[in-house]
Amino acid sequence: MSEKVQTVEEKPSLVPPVLAGLLSLVVPGLGHMLARQFRKGLVLLLVFLSAAGLWIWRVSDAARREVGFTAMFKKAIQLQPILLIILVVLVLLYLLIAYDAYKTAAKAKSNSFLLWVFVLASFFILGWQIGEIRPDVLVRDGKNSLPLLMRVLWPWEKALYYPEELLIGSADVVIPCTENAEVPPRVVEEGDPYVTVTPNCGDLSEIAGAEGTKLRMVGSNFAPNDETEIWWVDQVRNEFRYRYGGEYVKIVTDENGSFEMDVIIPYRVIPTTGGKGYAVWQVEARQVASVGEPVLSEELKLSVEKMIETIFLGMMSTVFGVILSIPVSFIASRNLMSANWLTKTIYMVVRTILNIIRSIESLVWAVIAIIAVGLGPFAGILALTVHSIAALGKLYSEAIESIDHGPVEAIQATGANWLQTVWYAVIPQIVPPFVSFTIYRWDINVRMSTVIGMVGGGGIGYLLIQWIRLLDYRSAGIAIWFIAFTVAILDYVSSEIRNRFV
Amino acid sequence: MLEIRNLTKIYDDGTVALHNVSFTVPDGEFLVVIGLSGSGKSTLLRCINRLIDPTEGQILWDGVDITALQGDDLRRMRRKIGMVFQQFNLVKRSTVMTNVMAGRLGYAPTWRSITNQFDEADRKRAQSALKRMGITDQANKRADELSGGQQQRVGIARTLMQEPKLILADEPVASLDPVLAHSILQHLESLNREDGITIVCSLHYLDLVQRYSTSVIGLRDGQVVYQGNKKQILRMTDAEFKSIYGEEAERMGGISGDLAADDEDSAGEEATE
Ligand SMILES: Nc1ncnc2c1ncn2[C@@H]1O[C@H](COP(=O)(O)OP(=O)(O)OP(=O)(O)O)[C@@H](O)[C@H]1O
Ligand SMILES: [Mg+2]
Repeated sequence: MSEKVQTVEEKPSLVPPVLAGLLSLVVPGLGHMLARQFRKGLVLLLVFLSAAGLWIWRVSDAARREVGFTAMFKKAIQLQPILLIILVVLVLLYLLIAYDAYKTAAKAKSNSFLLWVFVLASFFILGWQIGEIRPDVLVRDGKNSLPLLMRVLWPWEKALYYPEELLIGSADVVIPCTENAEVPPRVVEEGDPYVTVTPNCGDLSEIAGAEGTKLRMVGSNFAPNDETEIWWVDQVRNEFRYRYGGEYVKIVTDENGSFEMDVIIPYRVIPTTGGKGYAVWQVEARQVASVGEPVLSEELKLSVEKMIETIFLGMMSTVFGVILSIPVSFIASRNLMSANWLTKTIYMVVRTILNIIRSIESLVWAVIAIIAVGLGPFAGILALTVHSIAALGKLYSEAIESIDHGPVEAIQATGANWLQTVWYAVIPQIVPPFVSFTIYRWDINVRMSTVIGMVGGGGIGYLLIQWIRLLDYRSAGIAIWFIAFTVAILDYVSSEIRNRFV
Repeated sequence: MLEIRNLTKIYDDGTVALHNVSFTVPDGEFLVVIGLSGSGKSTLLRCINRLIDPTEGQILWDGVDITALQGDDLRRMRRKIGMVFQQFNLVKRSTVMTNVMAGRLGYAPTWRSITNQFDEADRKRAQSALKRMGITDQANKRADELSGGQQQRVGIARTLMQEPKLILADEPVASLDPVLAHSILQHLESLNREDGITIVCSLHYLDLVQRYSTSVIGLRDGQVVYQGNKKQILRMTDAEFKSIYGEEAERMGGISGDLAADDEDSAGEEATE
């Protein structure tokens, strides 16, 4: 071995060192190739070309609107200075390759460590740029998202719902004051909220001019110590909230549920009074008051329901996966299928199919299943089952392949048939690994079922993605809490089962 | 009578493990197969119960050609041939009882056997096999909780369930200490003498061979290079020894039966007796 290495080293370079270096400046790596380091030269050439190609792509991508390379380059550097750093590294790499070629041809004990460091560095920085990695954004915007994050972390305000009721008390205001206004009398039932205004007529405010009539508004029978909004309703039943000095006007009721305040009849662009010469408006006090005991919120109930659905989704797909993958695993194990060419072919075909299925993610299978059976948990179960069959089929068959063949031979030697041999010699050996792989898969399936809903495969993931899209972070937080809680319990249970059975 | 005729086994990779092997084993014999590692002893034994299919030649047992049997016929033949292994080959996670009952599978209907419904006669048979091997109290332990010697006794008890006429033992004592080796071989000897079961056994230690065999076959590179009866083994010459074990081989310990008593192994034998 060492002799062989020496003979390789003793072969002289095809070109003198300086030429090797210069040729490397023309085509990076060419110098190495001619200095009888063909493979290293080829690798360096490919590395350099791909790095340079990526850089050009990123420059033209950063300055898409510019025309001409110089303009593009300037714009790109200006927008993303990191591209300049990459250029510098690439140039250094280019020079290093030439220098290394020179050294290689000169048979100097050259140390290519620095060269490879630059190769790795250039790709690392390229990756940084392509990945649009920006820690400053993380720090800056991360801070802003903190309140949102807090809602996710502690979402329990949304777990309870306080039943609410809209309390409205309203009084008529005649504009302007006339003698002959016809205002139907109000009937207020005992205990209902009501308001009165004095006077009950007046003039509108003028645009940037005199204020309208000031009315004394008194309300009673509202919820105590609660915020109350004031609204106006004009004669054509347009509603608008009362502002004063640009601010919405709010008043808090006293402990008896009463309030007293002044309101000024606001300004209106076209005060149509109709043919009667006057209009009847209403001024209203509106209060959203909670009544009765708090109840569990709809979001919480939905989360619980969907979490149960999720757990069963994971469970059913594991059960189906196990049942179906057991027979598959037997025909996918080499040691049971090496009897003749037919069984060997079956083995090869089954193994290949399993590998293909396994290489496609469960989420993709979910999308396919949704096309087949529509949205909902059944699609999720199908997807996870398919993936489980492939994954478990492989794990199981590997467990079968690694069994001790001795007992199998011994049972065969007693005159047992195939089924008896499998039952007595194979099954006892594969129970522990099967149990452990099954639990492992169950674990994966429940985890997967929490996200499979994001593409519509049923389970809590569906709620989660919807609430996130609606920016309802508290509800999303509830869903996340449920997922975390379930997965933690599952972890505990599965490790317990593993300890008992394996 | 077991008659091996021109048996040849060539493995898929081209290894010639047996070449034109012929010999006969009269009923009631304790035949020992000796030879270096790789000489083909295991291959020979496995050909006899068809765990391996021979490439050429015939194996006649009471006139029936074993090499031609298929399917149910093969299984009916196998159940009359017990096999004991160097590594015991018990199902480690199953109980001793289950391992022993497994010896009855060739007789039991498939469905009843896999639902563990053996009949009363079979259970009695298992009890007496355990008793005979002195492991009755181990019946409900898991096989891998037993010592090597105990495991091998379970292995023999399993073959007893087959009510065999022939027992193949492939280096049954190679993983055991000398004391246990004698104890196991004495069990085989008692099956041979008292029950008239023919034994074909491969062994490594010459003193054990001399002590237990009634006839010997020497294999070298898959060919029979030595055949001898009890008397001849005790007087095996250096030349014969070298023809089996090669020119460089040194004989250690006893040359003849009377010298064998000085051996370490034989000391163990006395201890068990
Ligand atoms: N499955 C197999 N495939 C190919 N060659 C094999 C196989 N089994 C055994 N051999 C070869 O056949 C020859 C005989 O092997 P065998 O196991 O019969 O020898 P042995 O006498 O039992 O040896 P040992 O004393 O080590 O058990 C050896 O050269 C071995 O390498
Ligand atoms: Mg062997």
